[in-house]
Amino acid sequence: MMAAVAAAILVSVLGLTACSSSSGGSSGNGKSLGQSADAIQKRGVLKAGVKIDVPKFGYKDPGTGKIDGFEVDLVRAVAKKILGDPNKIELTGVTAKTRAALLDNGELDLVAATFTITEDRKKSLNFTDSYFTDGIAIMVKKSSGLTGLKDLDKKKIGVAKSATTKARLQEKADPLGVKPEFLEFDSYPEIKAALDAGRVDAFSVDGAILYGYLDDSTQILPDRYSQEEYGIATAKPKTDLAKVVNDTLAEMKSSGELDQLKQKWGLK
Amino acid sequence: MAGFTELLLQGMSIVLRAENLRFLLKGVGVTLELSLEVILISFLLGVALGILRYARVPVLATMAATYVEAMRNSPMLLLILAAHFALRLTAWNSGVAGMSLYTSAVLAEVVRGGLNSIDRGQWEAARAQGFRYVQILWHVVLPQALRRMIPPIVSQFITVVKDTAYVWLIGVDELTGRAKIIMGAHAEAVIALFFTIAVVYFIVNYVLSAMARSLERRYWARSF
Amino acid sequence: MNPLAWWRWQALFENRAIFLQGLGQTVLASALALGLALVLGAVFGVMAVSPWRLPRWLNRAYVEFTQNTPLVVQVLFLYLGLPYAGIMMPVLWVGVLGLGIYHGAYVAEVVRAGINSVHRGQLEAAYSQGFNYFGAMRHIILPQAARVVLPPLTNQALALIKNSAVLAMIAGGDLMYYTDSWSSDTLHYGPAYIVAGLLYLVLTLPLAWLTTNLEVRLGRGQRGVA
Repeated sequence: MMAAVAAAILVSVLGLTACSSSSGGSSGNGKSLGQSADAIQKRGVLKAGVKIDVPKFGYKDPGTGKIDGFEVDLVRAVAKKILGDPNKIELTGVTAKTRAALLDNGELDLVAATFTITEDRKKSLNFTDSYFTDGIAIMVKKSSGLTGLKDLDKKKIGVAKSATTKARLQEKADPLGVKPEFLEFDSYPEIKAALDAGRVDAFSVDGAILYGYLDDSTQILPDRYSQEEYGIATAKPKTDLAKVVNDTLAEMKSSGELDQLKQKWGLK
Repeated sequence: MAGFTELLLQGMSIVLRAENLRFLLKGVGVTLELSLEVILISFLLGVALGILRYARVPVLATMAATYVEAMRNSPMLLLILAAHFALRLTAWNSGVAGMSLYTSAVLAEVVRGGLNSIDRGQWEAARAQGFRYVQILWHVVLPQALRRMIPPIVSQFITVVKDTAYVWLIGVDELTGRAKIIMGAHAEAVIALFFTIAVVYFIVNYVLSAMARSLERRYWARSF
Repeated sequence: MNPLAWWRWQALFENRAIFLQGLGQTVLASALALGLALVLGAVFGVMAVSPWRLPRWLNRAYVEFTQNTPLVVQVLFLYLGLPYAGIMMPVLWVGVLGLGIYHGAYVAEVVRAGINSVHRGQLEAAYSQGFNYFGAMRHIILPQAARVVLPPLTNQALALIKNSAVLAMIAGGDLMYYTDSWSSDTLHYGPAYIVAGLLYLVLTLPLAWLTTNLEVRLGRGQRGVA
């Protein structure tokens, strides 16, 4: 009963924000959101990089060929803010390896792709405030009997290239005297396949991503080894665009729309 | 072995769903489009480079030779990644550029070999008729050489089709990339997926190589 | 943010051990795979010219399937598929097996062409001297074919080294894997790819030179490609 009331309130709040943001941010009212946003308005479409192989966050549905997920909905919200239409988006699939390069060369306006905010990355990209908090987790086979990082001495851990996972886990493993071997792969599906095949003993990445790969034979260990904050990234020179995107997120946060979206995608 | 067969059959029931098959078939289109673009660019570049070396144009011939040797002796994967991460091209463009850098070098050698296979006596004959160098090259030597080059070019085309299987790495969703996307939701179908795309690549390339063989037979017959 | 700034090169130099380790793995995998490719190629090449249908058919199936599917698909299949068949081999051996099988098919075609280049009359002559099929092959045909196949074989060795970069896809610890891993951690892409490219050329250029030299000496045409 409580849940139903809460949902009803959220929906009505969401409806209100949708109205207010469409009147406040539509492209026709003459109020400029900055040079970069103007360029996007002129082009008529927002170019965004999202994951296409991470269920719930950004996943390309083979049935429809459409990319959907929590982060895609965030992109839609930004498109609504800048262009007044959540459907004026052009999505490109990115990986941990490619996302920074595509912002640098101007192919994409922004990237919303399970992108952890780090001090190092802030030197070359702009990040919004966090829209999702997660921690690095470890998935193992149920039959393995492994219970945590302490059991992974000399075991193989599959991680994604260019991800923060390896460095963070290493930091936590050192004081335990645990020396795992890290194997780096290019995408998550391969790591899951490698785990299934017994090529690696553990699959480690942020917990929410792992949940997309959970099945009957695997389990996600309870410990979290870091706090990862996801932010939407834009190219360094486009500070005006970064502000527009951040404002959009802030509005969604205060209106409850962000929580609503997390609920919609089963991330809460 | 039981585990393997069981997994293959179980995975096949996922792969053979209409939506997944359609999704993969569209990937074949992407693979072919990329391959065609690469082979066309590489052919034009290869003809230019091959002629420069064949005609021994000073300085340019040396530059062409350096380019050809450096590119055709490097791994294509390295060229693709370098185009993307070092040169910062878009995903599609770095796929095209990386593969064309390599393929144009290989085709330059094919062109040069083709030109060299034309009897030098034809030059004498054409010169005696009062033709100029460029005219002879363009109207007499090149057309004959091109005909002999068709089989090696088709076989290079097959190599290109196979090597497009690397470009999902930088985010192009061709056939292999799409198989990975399906893997994202159905990790248990991995064996079936790789088996299926192997069969699809085989069919595409087998048709191409059958065409190459029939061309080879026809032109072999004609040139003797 | 100069991608080729001097400090990036210094960082690479400090981490040179990683690149050298990768180079070692590339050389090791290539050498072992070449051995396997030569054995497979010799066996299947001889099968191609066999007087019996079954070996000829096996040769065609092997060559056509291997040459018409991408190496990376074959290697991923072996890497992720073999464990389900109860075979868990170390990643180096998966790489050696994948590369060896792939290039074995090309070597088989080279061997077949080499044998065919020896006049058929010689086989009959050998029969008349009391040789059986295998004896004639071993003592008469193959030694002559060996000379013809040398340039394309060195060329295959070269192609194999380039293709060994496929190990990077299966966390194989080769030069490409470490180049990729190191450069995506440090973002020093420029120096990493340039150095890796040069290291590959150090391995391949001598073979390219050898191929050309052998071709000239044996009066052969242009090289084929894999």
